[in-house]
Amino acid sequence: MYQESGGGGDASLFAGGGFMPSQAATGNEFSSSVSGASRRSGGQDGGLQPLTVKMISQASQKPGDDAFYVDGLEINNVTLVGMVHDKDERNIDTSFMLDDTTGRIEVKRWIDGQDSYEYFEMQSVQNFMYVRVHGHLRTFQNKLNVVAFSVRPITDFNEVTFHFLEVIHVHLSRTRKGGVSAVATPALGNTMATPQNGMYTPVKTPIASSAIPAGGAKEECQRRVHSIYEEPASLQVEQGLHVDQVVQRMVGFTRAQVREAIDFLVNEGYIYSTIDDDHHKSTNG
Amino acid sequence: MADISNPRPMVNSKLLKNYMGRRVTTVVKVARTEGGNVVGELPDGAPITVKQAPQHVAAQSQFMEVIGVVEGDRSLRAETCTSFGDNFDMSTYNDLCQLANIENRECFV
Repeated sequence: MYQESGGGGDASLFAGGGFMPSQAATGNEFSSSVSGASRRSGGQDGGLQPLTVKMISQASQKPGDDAFYVDGLEINNVTLVGMVHDKDERNIDTSFMLDDTTGRIEVKRWIDGQDSYEYFEMQSVQNFMYVRVHGHLRTFQNKLNVVAFSVRPITDFNEVTFHFLEVIHVHLSRTRKGGVSAVATPALGNTMATPQNGMYTPVKTPIASSAIPAGGAKEECQRRVHSIYEEPASLQVEQGLHVDQVVQRMVGFTRAQVREAIDFLVNEGYIYSTIDDDHHKSTNG
Repeated sequence: MADISNPRPMVNSKLLKNYMGRRVTTVVKVARTEGGNVVGELPDGAPITVKQAPQHVAAQSQFMEVIGVVEGDRSLRAETCTSFGDNFDMSTYNDLCQLANIENRECFV
């Protein structure tokens, strides 16, 4: 079914529809059938990133890679807060410009029909209203936009303050060398409504182990764990390896580090879980 | 597309004077209305007069976000006003104004 849709315009039609799982939404499934998950060279997805339009407009790209990077991390899911302008309701989608004080970006939401959840959610969104947007960053015809999977009117305006403080906090913790930031985020007033996001991946502290280089400890762990799953002996066992077996082999690394490396490899598609969450096997087997 | 040609930075009284004649964003704690003007306080407590602010928005709640043009160091000409409710934390917003305009400008302006 997917072979017909080549890259370019077709890919963005399907990738943005909200019908595809988020893994495929980067468009890679259509553009390259051979290289598969080759777009990342070991770097980790930034999770859900709180951003401003200004930061998005300054996002960089690496040559040969369609992904966008902010503060060194690949952007996939973003969250923005701002005011709605120029709302435009069409048959298959509703779009608007989001003005977040730093600039404006187009936000689009696909609508699956007039009785759908998306339709009701977007009906309540009006011009000049403040909203919280969760979505994917996309380019279409060389222009950046956000394809939203959630647009929620803001009712407690402390959330506006919170969002920008979170943007600063995450930005500082990513850009300060050494990982853990010493930024004191001012405590918010007690009337703060719990925001729905905040799932960004915090920067990990480098592991203090003499045998392992401080900067590359995580990558080193991932490489070693991966190679254990790739051994011929591992490939022959039908249910793969138990986490404990891998931990035993990974001398000098904690169980938590090994677990984290396993999770990373599963997300990247290098290994998969077999009989339960503790058994994994290489996808090469 | 991402259009960053017209930012409207979040300001308090100290930052207001850097943006004379330009569009800014701030939150005003409404004290009273005088004629067509709204008189109140900026996030750092300094006095401000907001001209052309819609009275019904000012009357709605204690806090009002004003997007408008700076006309003087105590005066703003409003373009869009939004009711920000009665539970808005001004001192944290004030800290945000400082953080966004000084140390972390690259994310905002």
